[in-house]
Amino acid sequence: MTGHEDVYVVGAARTVFGRFDGEDNDLAEEAVRGALADAGITWSDVQFAVGGTNGETKPDNLVARLGLTGLPFVTVKNGCATGGVALMTARNGLIADGAEIACVVGYDNHARGAFNASPSRYGIGDWYGETGMMVTTSYFALKIQRYLHEHGIDPRTLGYAAEKAFSYASDHPYAWRRKPVTVDEAMDADLINDPLTRFMFCSPDAGAVSLVLARGPRAFDMCDRPVRLASVALRGRRPGSFEVFSTWLSPGERTSPSIDAAKAAFSAAGISPADVQVAQLQDTDSGAEIMHLAETGLVEHGAQTAGYLDGDYLVDGRLPVNTDGGLLANGEPVGASGLRQVHEVVRQLQGRADGQQVPGGPTVGFTHVYGAPGISACTVLTTEGR
Amino acid sequence: MAVRIVDETLFASTDPPTLRGSRCEACGAHVFPAIGSCPMCAGVDVAPVALPDHGVVWSWTTQHFAPKPPFRTDGFEPFSIGYVDLGPVIVEGWLVGRTQWTIGEPVRLVLAHAWTDDGEAVHTFAFEPGDAQ
Repeated sequence: MTGHEDVYVVGAARTVFGRFDGEDNDLAEEAVRGALADAGITWSDVQFAVGGTNGETKPDNLVARLGLTGLPFVTVKNGCATGGVALMTARNGLIADGAEIACVVGYDNHARGAFNASPSRYGIGDWYGETGMMVTTSYFALKIQRYLHEHGIDPRTLGYAAEKAFSYASDHPYAWRRKPVTVDEAMDADLINDPLTRFMFCSPDAGAVSLVLARGPRAFDMCDRPVRLASVALRGRRPGSFEVFSTWLSPGERTSPSIDAAKAAFSAAGISPADVQVAQLQDTDSGAEIMHLAETGLVEHGAQTAGYLDGDYLVDGRLPVNTDGGLLANGEPVGASGLRQVHEVVRQLQGRADGQQVPGGPTVGFTHVYGAPGISACTVLTTEGR
Repeated sequence: MAVRIVDETLFASTDPPTLRGSRCEACGAHVFPAIGSCPMCAGVDVAPVALPDHGVVWSWTTQHFAPKPPFRTDGFEPFSIGYVDLGPVIVEGWLVGRTQWTIGEPVRLVLAHAWTDDGEAVHTFAFEPGDAQ
């Protein structure tokens, strides 16, 4: 029996990801209008809105295009976790403000090439950038290099993850990089940062995603197959985590905000990781997917390789993962990326995946974003609850 | 003659090179570079400390493309970066002398040429293969 405190996704839309020459707001508007149409409502029906971007535009100014209805519009900027935080903010806004319908949108339109962060924004001296250490790709490489060593994982697993991503993307009309890549091609490609080659990194690009949320039982009036946002949890880093732009690390036990956020999300939803039938994990690089499979509790540390070899993460496997090609194939418009994950899982649970559909009517999904400077947001999504 | 350094505050001494971190009086946590509070226990009673000048490679990678500015170089060649376990703290820095490394191998602190500024060599801290002397 659904309660008034339950929040559902009743509309979802995304743009094609990739290079984009127009204005950021064009992308955002396309996604919002798509989500409104998917939910069968108009902007005037929306009572609370949240917009996320890591760029220079102001999401709350989207009302100039969508309609000056006077609704409260919150802006979120939380790095790679922006989408997850935006969704959580919308959920909390619905519950706290007594609204019935909320809209969340995330978008970005990044310049070509790796992100170029400024040391001072992270509280680090100029020397860190001047000596070439303020580089996100070297962080991901250093982290997976250590992880492979600690858990005795075959580096070829990085190639399995890349092959899977582009295989899914080749069937997904909204993905960016849709050309299949073999394991050998991925392993033999130019090194970016050992042990990661150019097929093992996502690139910053452009895209937008929007979701319409509604409280139950209103959700069931609006949508034939609403997907319940069973939980959303956000966690920051604790001592022992290994984050981007770290001039030092503490010895001893390793922790991770992903471990904490996933645990909190599963606990709040009353669902076990073993129950998940379709998952979206932050795969900024193929090593990140390997680590996050274990940090979220879905797979044991060290058991990831067997999962790739056994086909566990394919649509007809035990645990389909990143069924839209993930970040590797969609790129990362930072504000949109976390919402893309939710969009994909919602479509899978509704049985209307844009790409490969998980067969058998999956009922439990999971999403995970992770980013600088050490935050993670996870959601559990289910079809039960009428 | 004094050696020009990327940032003097990183060093307790430059001859022999020694990094300057900070130590929390409450929990003993070491941090690099030195800061005024402890992120581990949230304590504020911290003091500068000279860090050990040798350790083992904890992780490594080689940078195969030239970073964007503010990276400075006299001419880009692939170079290695690693985390080196010094005992009380694991520090990120250049690994110099080669571009392939093994986790667990011993390294020691040296000064390495970073770039040339107006004819003057600028150095940074780095680790090279070898045990402490």
